[in-house]
Amino acid sequence: MAPSTDTADTSADLELVERLRAGDEAAFMDLVDRLGPSMRRVARMYVKTDAVADEVVQDAWLGVLQGLHRFEGRASLRTWIFRILVNIAKQRGVREGRSVAFASLAGDDLDRPSFDPTAFLPAGDTWAGHWSTLPFDWRGVPEDRVDANELLAVIGRTLEALPPLQAEVLRLRDVAGWSTEDIRNALDLTDTNQRVLLHRARGKVRAAVEAYMRSVAES
Amino acid sequence: MSAELTCAEVVELLSDYLEGALDPAATSHVEAHVADCDGCTMVLDQLRETIRLSGEVRESALARDQRDTLLTAFRRHHAGA
Repeated sequence: MAPSTDTADTSADLELVERLRAGDEAAFMDLVDRLGPSMRRVARMYVKTDAVADEVVQDAWLGVLQGLHRFEGRASLRTWIFRILVNIAKQRGVREGRSVAFASLAGDDLDRPSFDPTAFLPAGDTWAGHWSTLPFDWRGVPEDRVDANELLAVIGRTLEALPPLQAEVLRLRDVAGWSTEDIRNALDLTDTNQRVLLHRARGKVRAAVEAYMRSVAES
Repeated sequence: MSAELTCAEVVELLSDYLEGALDPAATSHVEAHVADCDGCTMVLDQLRETIRLSGEVRESALARDQRDTLLTAFRRHHAGA
């Protein structure tokens, strides 16, 4: 039941690289459109301004074009591109005198529970750790009362408010459908960190959907 | 991990469960708990629904001038290559 995975396909990657090397503009712009927004957000994690992030993204694409002949398909193309991006962004951040701690990108709440502890019965109770207050059950909310656009806007605003690495891991996994392996390699995360970041982000988005559904039911 | 998980423990494992990232023992502990627990079944369904909804979020488009700059760079790279 895992989300659909946009599997990185080595032969498709190598074919795309050939087209890029042959000067196929449509193929290049398709790749730019697919990866660009995420690359910009990732670059912005390491540098001070949007303008510098745009420069980093441009430098990264130049690095990609210049290095295409070295791409061997050992990593997926998108992972390889993101590694180039992250390296350039980190170097640029260092030159700006901006050192970015992992915790400031990942959030300081990774080991916090995803539900308020009062949702569960306290220690000492026969049923300690089991539900005392269930989340709002939104299955009863009639579909025609749910504004789909507003609900997606709620999710979008929730992502904007998340620590940047939590948001980006969720975007790459659940919005763009990347494999967890590609996300880990692209963003230079350990397996554990990738899973915890995704778990935290999904928990907050679930809570935001729950709050929206409750507000609809009570309106 | 004890075989009997509490709800508070199970909810922290559901994302990994959906990712197929739990080991077989933990997977069966989660499944055994969820099968017996309406609350955790609901939260698991809500998480699935959340993931499905996230998949409908539209990615922002790249700014036109950024696109133009990159296309120019691509052309220049090929003219020079």
